[in-house]
Amino acid sequence: MSDLGFSFSLSQLWQVAGGQIILLIAGLVLIFVDLWLSTDKKPDHVATMGWLTALSFLVALWHMIGTEWTLNEIVLVDVFSADKFAIFVSAIVLMAGIFASLMSIGYLRNNKLVRSEYFILLLFAVYGTIAMVQSVDLLMMFIALEVMSLSVYVLAAFLKDDRRSQEGALKYFLLGSFGSAFFLFGVGLMYGLTGTVNITKIAQVLSTGPLLENPGVLVAMAMLMSGLFFKMALVPFHMWTPDVYEGSPAIITGFMATAVKAGAFGIFIKLLSVTFTPILAHSGQPEFQSTVNLAALAVYWKPLLWWLALITMFVGNLVAVSQKNVKRMLAYSSIAHAGYMVLGILAANDEGRMGVLFYLFAYTLMNMGAFGVLYLFDGQEGKAQTLDDYKGLGFKYPALSFMMALFLVSMAGLPPTAGFIGKFYLFAAAIKEGYLLLAALGILTCVIGAYYYLRVIWMLYMVEPSRDVVAGRVGVPSMIALIAAALGIMYLGILPEGLSQVANVAQQGLAMVF
Amino acid sequence: MASLTHYIVLSSILFGLGTIGFLTRRNALILFMSIELMLNAVNLMLVAFSNFMADMAGQVMVLFIFAVAAAEVAVGLAILIGLFRHVREVDITKFNVLKW
Repeated sequence: MSDLGFSFSLSQLWQVAGGQIILLIAGLVLIFVDLWLSTDKKPDHVATMGWLTALSFLVALWHMIGTEWTLNEIVLVDVFSADKFAIFVSAIVLMAGIFASLMSIGYLRNNKLVRSEYFILLLFAVYGTIAMVQSVDLLMMFIALEVMSLSVYVLAAFLKDDRRSQEGALKYFLLGSFGSAFFLFGVGLMYGLTGTVNITKIAQVLSTGPLLENPGVLVAMAMLMSGLFFKMALVPFHMWTPDVYEGSPAIITGFMATAVKAGAFGIFIKLLSVTFTPILAHSGQPEFQSTVNLAALAVYWKPLLWWLALITMFVGNLVAVSQKNVKRMLAYSSIAHAGYMVLGILAANDEGRMGVLFYLFAYTLMNMGAFGVLYLFDGQEGKAQTLDDYKGLGFKYPALSFMMALFLVSMAGLPPTAGFIGKFYLFAAAIKEGYLLLAALGILTCVIGAYYYLRVIWMLYMVEPSRDVVAGRVGVPSMIALIAAALGIMYLGILPEGLSQVANVAQQGLAMVF
Repeated sequence: MASLTHYIVLSSILFGLGTIGFLTRRNALILFMSIELMLNAVNLMLVAFSNFMADMAGQVMVLFIFAVAAAEVAVGLAILIGLFRHVREVDITKFNVLKW
């Protein structure tokens, strides 16, 4: 940061941040494409925009996997790094983006919303999230966090005529900015204490100096963390989550619960394992010996995460049981899932980080899929929003209900689905580090969770319909997305080794961010 | 001559006031102002650090934060107007359609 001259070549920039550049250019170009399409009064220009957005995500994904993932040693361009961990999280975010843009085509049509700025906002939200997980600079993280948040605030408020959407968006905006302000205060304090905002330099300065005795470091760490807890929606920082998830357009809810959460978990893990408790400290390499004393900071954040994981799992699952609205139930369930993932972060070993990455991937598939079916049941006429409305839909819409059942079984963590494997990795990692009590309580909350997931399936198949529900029309893009999500969950449930090996390579990439 | 500690204490107090304002007031516009106060407290701290460390990076950061804060208020006010059209009210306790 301190010298404003560039220390990298353009080709390096392209190698490291090409995915972001593609998305940024696509976003700017699509604004004009949208203008051109809509003045032409083409009836399906919204669908065209949706396909173009999905294509942009695909191109960015292709660049990230083809170029950025294959870099053998880490390349840094001042504020961004192409470490494999960031690429993996970015790939999850892009995947969520592809699902969201495909499903949104049908969603916007069913709800008669002819407004294609939706897709441009989605593009910038994905761009911000990827910039955030790739950055190794606290200020860049903050700016990217805001790019992501501001786009998602607007998307949450997209249903102008629906008071719930507006209300949810305002609550999201207020608490989101409140959380960002905390994060920013942590950034400022860290800058003052260490003289830098680069996360690896901060680790070096903290470990060499007498700064660790300074309570300011703890305050800065607490501020940075609590800012992120808002985005990760951990109890007690979750107050906005149910309201926002209920009010927002269904697909955006799915996007927030997957992509935004993946981004927040990504930088949280990055901050912890690069700055506050460097994972290389115990590698035996001499240049990292000095960072060993940073491990002392783990004494502070481990008990904190222990309690957060516990209450997040319990509150999320217990409150979900009492919900009548299916969307709101899924909101509480997403809080509970965040709790399981904190378990993996708390373990702070290779298995834990691998488990979190695997779980984020699987969770993206099942959650986007569930919200995809949910928006179809919540069609234009005869909205099915509460549990009672779901009665007997299994016979009226067998294919959709089967997929819903599959996604819910995966969320409940029953074999042979991806959700089961993901939970297995997380709990195994926690048990390996000796968190037996927490793991046992966590499995107990999984059992509570299974009750309300299976209750929906019970409603779908075992109860007589109470009223006539007409689902929305399933278009080709939504069908592609739903089938891909369902197949992905089945595949990962039966053959998880491929992805878990990739996730393991990805989490080892964290050690290279030095 | 004010020392660095004075600036840190002042900006911490401002940040605290912003936090308290956010948590206790009920007018949505005042909440916006409280958030702005929190961001500007950080700006003050950054400028002070930057000056005392003779490092320009802190001042550059302040410019970035200004831009972010401006964008944030633009989006926030737009959302508030969107909600105001339905509720005719800026009291956050009246925004209660969504609850458990």
